[in-house]
Amino acid sequence: MSETTGVNRREFLATVAAAHGAFVLGFWVPSRADAQTTPTPNAAWYQDPATPEINAWIVIAPDDTVTIRIAQTELGQGVWTSNAMMVCEELQCDWSKVRPQYASANRDAREKAPEWTLTVPGQGAGDPKGGGEPTFGNRDRTGVSGIPDSLYRRMRTNAASSVKDGRYYLQLAGAEARERLLLAAAKQWNVPVTELTAKSSVITHASSGRTTTYGQIAHHAAETPHPHPETITIKSPDQWTLMGTEQKNLDIPLKVTGKTVYGIDVRLPGMKWAAVKACPVYGGDVKSYDFDKVRTMPGVRSVVQFPIPDPALTRGRVFSGGVAVIADSWYQAKTALDKMPIEWTIPPEHAAFNTANMHATLLASLDQPGRVRVDHGDVEAAFARAARIVEATYSTPYLPRARMEPGNATVLVTNERVDIWIGDQSPQETRFSAAKITGIPEENVYLHLCHLGGGFGRNGNGPQAEHAIMIANANRGIPIHMLWTREEDFIGTTYRAMGVARLKAALDADGWPIALDVRTGMQGGGFGPEASFDVTSRYFVPNYRYSSHTTTFHVPVGTRRGVGQAAHEFYRESFIDELAHAAGKDPYRYRRELLARTSLPYKDDMIKALDMAAEMSGWGSPLPKGKARGIALEERGAEGNGMATISAMVHTVSVSRDGKVRLERVDVAHETGFGLVNPLSVKKQIEGQITWFYNDAVHQASTIAEGRVVENNFNAFPISRMSEDPPEINIRFFPTQHWLLGMGHDRATSVQSAIGDAIFQITGKRYRDLPYAKHDLRWS
Amino acid sequence: MAFELVVNGTSHTVDADPQTPLLWVIRDHVGLTGTKFSCGIGQCGACTLHIDGRAVRSCSVPVRTAVGKKVVTIEGVSPDGNHPLQAAWTELDAPQCGYCQSGMIMSALALLREHATPSDADIDAQVTNICRCGTYHRVRQAIHLAADLLKAPGRDGVR
Repeated sequence: MSETTGVNRREFLATVAAAHGAFVLGFWVPSRADAQTTPTPNAAWYQDPATPEINAWIVIAPDDTVTIRIAQTELGQGVWTSNAMMVCEELQCDWSKVRPQYASANRDAREKAPEWTLTVPGQGAGDPKGGGEPTFGNRDRTGVSGIPDSLYRRMRTNAASSVKDGRYYLQLAGAEARERLLLAAAKQWNVPVTELTAKSSVITHASSGRTTTYGQIAHHAAETPHPHPETITIKSPDQWTLMGTEQKNLDIPLKVTGKTVYGIDVRLPGMKWAAVKACPVYGGDVKSYDFDKVRTMPGVRSVVQFPIPDPALTRGRVFSGGVAVIADSWYQAKTALDKMPIEWTIPPEHAAFNTANMHATLLASLDQPGRVRVDHGDVEAAFARAARIVEATYSTPYLPRARMEPGNATVLVTNERVDIWIGDQSPQETRFSAAKITGIPEENVYLHLCHLGGGFGRNGNGPQAEHAIMIANANRGIPIHMLWTREEDFIGTTYRAMGVARLKAALDADGWPIALDVRTGMQGGGFGPEASFDVTSRYFVPNYRYSSHTTTFHVPVGTRRGVGQAAHEFYRESFIDELAHAAGKDPYRYRRELLARTSLPYKDDMIKALDMAAEMSGWGSPLPKGKARGIALEERGAEGNGMATISAMVHTVSVSRDGKVRLERVDVAHETGFGLVNPLSVKKQIEGQITWFYNDAVHQASTIAEGRVVENNFNAFPISRMSEDPPEINIRFFPTQHWLLGMGHDRATSVQSAIGDAIFQITGKRYRDLPYAKHDLRWS
Repeated sequence: MAFELVVNGTSHTVDADPQTPLLWVIRDHVGLTGTKFSCGIGQCGACTLHIDGRAVRSCSVPVRTAVGKKVVTIEGVSPDGNHPLQAAWTELDAPQCGYCQSGMIMSALALLREHATPSDADIDAQVTNICRCGTYHRVRQAIHLAADLLKAPGRDGVR
């Protein structure tokens, strides 16, 4: 059946690796993706018996090269570098000799985490010496959140949590290895370990003048257990020397030369390609197809029909059944698939959905009782005595992630094991899926992790891996590279739920709110359906009620960048602008006063952010006609006294007379918490999210017609180019006294409301449904 | 059908349907994977490479149009990864996920050939690649920096 059948497994895998110049030892074989940094000639690899690991995260070669294993996926956020920085800080090794490598998801299935990583040091979010407040959850490897007890702990790359959840055990991993290197040197020299110092991979015994390097002592350290690993502490920010400094990402040299290995770049001997069509209406399946029509086309090998992926493997979401054509090259497979007749079975109730009727259903849900999450004071009584009532209804569309790399995975299933080459935001879930689909235990599933061409929300919850595994399972013995077209990627993704909100405020005679009633409507299963409004109002109001209203639709919704937070901050900040205008007050001063009146633990930080952003922007200074500024607060976690992330931004916006919006300038005031691991990565994350939320605000919407998503390529789903990038972005940081929640997904949500308010100031028109580009923004 | 294709100065014998998009021949027959597939309809520019010095979206060009011409991909921009564009990109830490960056650099390379000192408007007009991570701000700075580096003594512009 295949060129590889009958070949000894180990031989075959050795061939695979040799073809790509990687080092092969033992039975777990690295893909090219194991060397994403500039390759070190003859680099040692962890199962090389000559280079034993110090612990699961760290291998030190005789030449002092330090391999640091990364359990999160690099998808542009810089985790390849920041995770390594956290280990290196404690290890005190030479940063220039650090070489990241993906951690083994297979070992993670076989081995438990070391005891000394199980407990977070310190006293939570407010303790600079501690590990912050990681979310342990139920420690489920296949869940949405939480930190499992398996070897590499949390392998998910989501919720902007790689630093928040991983910092304490990555610092501990570096510290444990450092202590053991010191112990090994002390033993060799027969001196007390307390007399030794370690710096930049060199251990020194000052009184005797002896030195050794990590590379020279690593072999001994690997055999020197720490007698009391539970006593190891981590450095606080005042002791950091590498963390907190701007470090360029370690994989940039590969990314400017085309050498980075993404999932789509994996090539194996004997590999065949699969192109896929899934039913464009979710919940639909294949009724019939006619492979005979394309069987003789060039390169075509076979066809596989696959069912709707088991929702238990896709977090309960129902995608579609489909067909794959397998051929010698992907273009041949795709060409044949395009010509192959396929008929679908589509549930009529799904085909009946369209944007208009779904939106109407969501709006109607707001009049239902809903789930009352907060009810402080007496909202009804306050409305009865209001001097003025302001009400506004906002809408946000379905939005996909639309990452640049279309979904793909390369899978080889044999009767003994499964090998998967993939860029994946949740390898532990993918490992579980592989075991369920093939019946081969998780301990025999091997993931060869690759960089990901954009993530923006857990590709692991779309069915790219499940499709590929099902197709390869039907072709055991043949490595199958499944690649979605762009159009399929729009079907295989989860969407941010379409949402609506109705906010109603009672104002007193001075224009200050005395009651606020917030109702949000969102498809059930969406993430963050209560964000920004739950627990308490972030802006002071003595009487406050918040209810959430959920509806069931057939579109699979998931953790798209920003989750519900992004939509909810659009609602909240837009409404505060509307209230300020109704009260005849300045939107910055209005916000400031309403924050000052709260008793929120981080209100001073929020006020600081507003003040700093306003000052940076020249708030209040005159602008020419056609330009305006909008300000907004961004917070996650500010309702409590735990971890939080707080920023404020001022967006200077122009609208031309013919209705063209331009984001001219962005002034960002952002807290650092106790410390940012890599401030350069943080700046890039902020810059990137300005573009992200600019697109949400101005351009993007996914609409539904006859149950299917209409916009399925970049001609219909617009993404901004260089020409719309704001000419000026200013970012300033200010220190605060708590650990941050994360930087990766809900920064710059303020773009949405700020552009809306600028449009209002310039044109006199208030638009409450995104994106703005669908509206007539002309003025005279 | 077999034909010769010159990529990065090396001649390759390729056996493919001449209607196959150049992108897939480069990735699957020639074996250079730095040029990326993303939209397949010439919208995003991830597949940008040069044919006889002109930036082309290779997903939408049949391979036959490149026969007898010089194709240059990201792998051929410099022997050592240190072309002024690559050096500027590295200096500014421009890439995030990096997937679009090969195409971005190839577009910028064509731009600098025509405009040794590009204005922001020149950049807007000619570098129309999509980046979903939002690296535009750094890419723009990197293009300006590369233009400066190219004018440094000992260099005589983009070759």
